[in-house]
Amino acid sequence: MINFFKRIVQFKLKWFAKIYLWRTKPKVIVIAGTIGRHWIKEAVKEVLEDKNFLVRTNKKNFNAEIGLPLSILDLSSGKKSFWQWLKILWLAFKKVAVFSKIKLSPNYLVLEMAINAPENMNYLTSIVKPDVVILTTITMIYAENFENLDEISREYGELAKVLSWNGILILNNDDLRIKELGKYFDGKVITFGFSDGSQYKAVSVSKIADGQKFKIEVKQKEKEILNVKINRFGQHHIYAELVRAIIKDNFSAEG
Amino acid sequence: MFSRTQNIKLSPIKQIELLASKIPDVVSLAQGVPSFDTPEVIKKSAIKALSRGVVAKYSLTYGLPELRETIEQKLAEDGMYYDFEKEIIATAGSIEAIMATLIAIIEPKKNEIILFSPSYTSYAEAVKVAGGKPIFVNLIEGGLALSQSKGWRIDFKSLERKINSKTAAILFCNPNNPTGTIFPKEDLLKIAELAENKKFFILSDEVYKDFIYDFAFPSDGTAGRAFFSLAQIPELRKRVIRIFSLSKAYAMTGWRIGFMHSDEENIKEILKVHDSLVTCAPVISQYAAIAALDFGDKEIEKFRRQYQERRDLICRHLDDLKDFFSYQKPNSSYFIFPKLLPKRDSWQFALDLLEKAHVAVVPGIAFGPSGESHIRMSFGRSEKDINEAMRRIKKFFKHD
Repeated sequence: MINFFKRIVQFKLKWFAKIYLWRTKPKVIVIAGTIGRHWIKEAVKEVLEDKNFLVRTNKKNFNAEIGLPLSILDLSSGKKSFWQWLKILWLAFKKVAVFSKIKLSPNYLVLEMAINAPENMNYLTSIVKPDVVILTTITMIYAENFENLDEISREYGELAKVLSWNGILILNNDDLRIKELGKYFDGKVITFGFSDGSQYKAVSVSKIADGQKFKIEVKQKEKEILNVKINRFGQHHIYAELVRAIIKDNFSAEG
Repeated sequence: MFSRTQNIKLSPIKQIELLASKIPDVVSLAQGVPSFDTPEVIKKSAIKALSRGVVAKYSLTYGLPELRETIEQKLAEDGMYYDFEKEIIATAGSIEAIMATLIAIIEPKKNEIILFSPSYTSYAEAVKVAGGKPIFVNLIEGGLALSQSKGWRIDFKSLERKINSKTAAILFCNPNNPTGTIFPKEDLLKIAELAENKKFFILSDEVYKDFIYDFAFPSDGTAGRAFFSLAQIPELRKRVIRIFSLSKAYAMTGWRIGFMHSDEENIKEILKVHDSLVTCAPVISQYAAIAALDFGDKEIEKFRRQYQERRDLICRHLDDLKDFFSYQKPNSSYFIFPKLLPKRDSWQFALDLLEKAHVAVVPGIAFGPSGESHIRMSFGRSEKDINEAMRRIKKFFKHD
C-alpha cells in the first residue's frame, strides 16, 4: 500500500515538475558524480547570483526520484505523513495549473543528481533535460548497486546523451571514466582538472596555513592565468573553483 | 604477565554499574547514557541501509566518503575547514579516536599527557593503555566560568609548571565531563599559546558541545554553533586534534560512531593506528550517522531543552539538601558534580548510597585527585528517575 502510494506520488510529481519546467523554461545545470557535487553546486550558484540571475538549487538529499521534482517545484518533503503528501500534491498542482500565475521563477536551476541503481539516470532525465552538465568524479560510493565503476560511468553517460545540441558538457579531466564521456556529446565540451590537457587547469597548488593557493591556466584564452586563494582544504575545493571560473567565462550577466 | 594492564583499572563508572546491577530496584544516575532512544529518522536510515545489503562489508579505513563529505559540510557550518578526503576519520565512538591518537603521538621520550582534574574518568586509563603517563592539572572550583556564574577554571600556574619536554599533549573534554563547564575562549587560546611554544598537541574532545544552556540560541537547533573550538583557528590545525562522538548528541551510545579531524599530517599517522584497532567504524552506524548529521538538528534541540529542564530539576533537589551538598550549576553536558558536605570519602559515600538508598552515583575521585569529596550525577536520565533518586537521597540523609 505504501509503495503503491509512493509510486503515485512519484508519478504525479514527475509530471507536475515537467509542466513547471515547460511553463517557466529555466536553464538547467545538472551536477552529477559520486562525490564533490555540493561544493561545485555552491560555486555555480554563487557565480550566477553574482551575475544577477535568480538561481534555485536543490537541498542536500533532494536529488533523486522524489527529491528532484520537489526541488524543481520548490516544495518540501511530506516525510511519512500521508496527509502531508496530499497537501504537497495539491500545492504542486496549484503551482502548475493554467489559471495560476507563476511568481518569480528562477533563471537557473542548479541541481545535484544522485543515482544509486542502474536506470536511475534514465528516470531523472525523463523529468529534466539539462542545458549544462557538470560531471565530478566516480568512486566506490554507490558501487553496491552496480556491477562495477564502469557501469556507474555508463549511467552518467546518459546525461551527456540528453544534452541539447547547444548545451555545455563540463568534465573532470583527471577522472578517466568521466573524461571518456565526452564521446557521447558533439557540442561544446570543457574540461577541468590538474592533468595536462585540461582546458581549465590548476597549477602551482600550495597548501597554506589558512587554505590553499593556486593558479588557473585557461587554455581557451591564450595563456590566461588566474591567481586564486581559498580558505578551504582539499582537492575538491580546487575543482569547485575551476568550475566557478568556467561558469564565469561562459555565462554572460543578466540585465 | 600483563605488565601493561596491571596498573590499569576498569572505569569506576563501570564498577559502580556492575555493583548496581546486582541490586534490585536500583535507580542509576551513574552512567552517562541519555534516557532517549535514537531518533526515528536515524533508525530508519540504518534499516534502509541494512535492507539494501550495503552494510556487510568494510568501508574505507577513513570511513564512507559520503559520511565524510557530510561531516566536512557540517564542520564548515561551524567555521572549521577540513578536507573530507584526507583530514577526517569516522571512528568507533570518541574513545577509539582518543586511543588511536594517543598511541600515534606518545613516544618513549615524550610520553606525558596533561589531563584536567576532574575530567572524564577513562582518559587516564586510555593514556596508560597507550603507554603514556597521565599528569593531572587541577581545575579550581568556584572560579568564573563562561556564563560568569561560578564554575570550574583551569589553574594555569599549575599547568605551566607541569609542562616540560616530555609533554606530548593535553587532552580535555570541552564542555567538561563531569563538571559541565565550558572553558572560556581566552583560556583555550592560552592553552594554544602554550602548545605552540612548547610543541605539544591539543586533543579537544567535544562530545557535549550541543548541550549548552543559559545562552541565547538560534531557534533552528544549532546550539553548537555558539560554541568556540580551537579547531576553528586555521593556524592551529597542525596542533589541534578535535574529536566528536554522535553518542550523546543523537542518543546513539550503542552505535559506537564518532569522528575526528586534524591536519592531514596528523591524520595520516593516526589512520594507521585506527586501521590496526578497528579497520573501520561500524558501517551500519556510518550510514546512521549520515542521517543523524543531515536530519538530526531538530532532535538535538529537543534533547537540549529536556536536559535543561532536568538540570533545573536536579538543582532544585540539591538546593533542598544544602546542608549536605554544594554545587556549581553546570552550563552544559548532562552532569552535575556536587561537593559532599562535610568532606567525605567519595567511594565510601557512593557505596553507602548504593547499599542503603539503592541509588548509583559515580564517586568524584574517579575523575582525578581533585574530584575527591564530590559525586557525579547524570541528569541524562528521565525526570521520573531523577525525582525518585533524589527522594531516596533525601531519605538517606534523614537517617544517616
